[in-house]
Amino acid sequence: MKILAIDTSASPVSAALLSDGKLLGEFYLNIKTTHSQTLMPIVSALLSSSGTDIKDIDVFAVNAGPGSFTGVRIGVASVKGMAMPLDKPCAQVSTLEAMAYSMPYSDGIVCSVMDARCNQVYNALFRLNGGKTERLTEDRALSIDELADELSQYSETVYLTGDGAELCSNKFTDCLPNVILTPVNIRFQHAYGTAVAAEKMAAENRLCTSAQLMPVYLRLPQAERELKARLAKNNNKKGEEK
Amino acid sequence: MQKFITKSPEETESLAEQIAKTLEGTEMIAMFGDLGAGKTAFTRGLARGLGVDDGVSSPTFALVHEYSGKYPVYHFDMYRVTSWDDLYTTGFFDYMDNGVMVIEWSENIVDFLPENRINITIKHLSENEREITVEGAKEI
Repeated sequence: MKILAIDTSASPVSAALLSDGKLLGEFYLNIKTTHSQTLMPIVSALLSSSGTDIKDIDVFAVNAGPGSFTGVRIGVASVKGMAMPLDKPCAQVSTLEAMAYSMPYSDGIVCSVMDARCNQVYNALFRLNGGKTERLTEDRALSIDELADELSQYSETVYLTGDGAELCSNKFTDCLPNVILTPVNIRFQHAYGTAVAAEKMAAENRLCTSAQLMPVYLRLPQAERELKARLAKNNNKKGEEK
Repeated sequence: MQKFITKSPEETESLAEQIAKTLEGTEMIAMFGDLGAGKTAFTRGLARGLGVDDGVSSPTFALVHEYSGKYPVYHFDMYRVTSWDDLYTTGFFDYMDNGVMVIEWSENIVDFLPENRINITIKHLSENEREITVEGAKEI
């Protein structure tokens, strides 16, 4: 089975080609240029230099979120566009899960974190054990302080990875001695992890059609509070009018 | 904090042009002031100071206008953007750290802006006179 996976969920952009578990090729750029200009040349170069016809791709995979609003839309729209005319299935991969699959063989907790701004992060926790990756939490948005509280329950080594990892690491060093910041070559999301996650999803019958593929956004706690306050205010106003 | 009095839109523009010379390329500039205070005039001067040749107009309908000069300039108008969800779906956070962001009607989203920013407050004194308060920028 050949999987073409892409990631545009944050600042880097990457594309990977996986064939029956083997990585045939991966292109990665972490420059300021917008993904709308870099993604398709990368995909095209990856296919042509590996001698792969796009018609031979069995599954199109994408990090569908969480992530930057524009980045996620570019990734999801591009995969829809490639999969739809070929009528091929898609894998809607969690960016945070893809990060966990990018980790080298190790035992412990993977804490995938993406910077969501305003001291909040997108996060999910995974346990790596004997080469298996087990999900411990849903993808969620929470404050860095809340995450620190939660991590203090774990006595195992916690691998902090993702573009929010350094931000958290700076705040965790005093209170969480078992937290390790992953090295930069594996810290940021790579399409390789997306492809590995997609392979697992294919085995579990969790693929979708190109029409079903959707971006996934998580609302931040701060936004949730603000929305509640605004709805309450509107309701009060309505009450007064009556 | 610096305070200035300008006596015409042209003077507001030229003040902004001087402030533009102190920028390093990734600043966020939040503007506060009533309708007709001169926020767009200020942005026009700022853009000129950064070498933008295009005409600058208020992005009330487009939400954001992008200009390219010495640095990219992202000109936002938050008049109709009043919640976190609105703000997120403009792609606002994707623009951060990639250029100079100039934000009109910052009042609407001030709770979601990073602390590290420049505040420009423009107050009507009379028909043509404005008091412009600049916080967080280098001295000019």
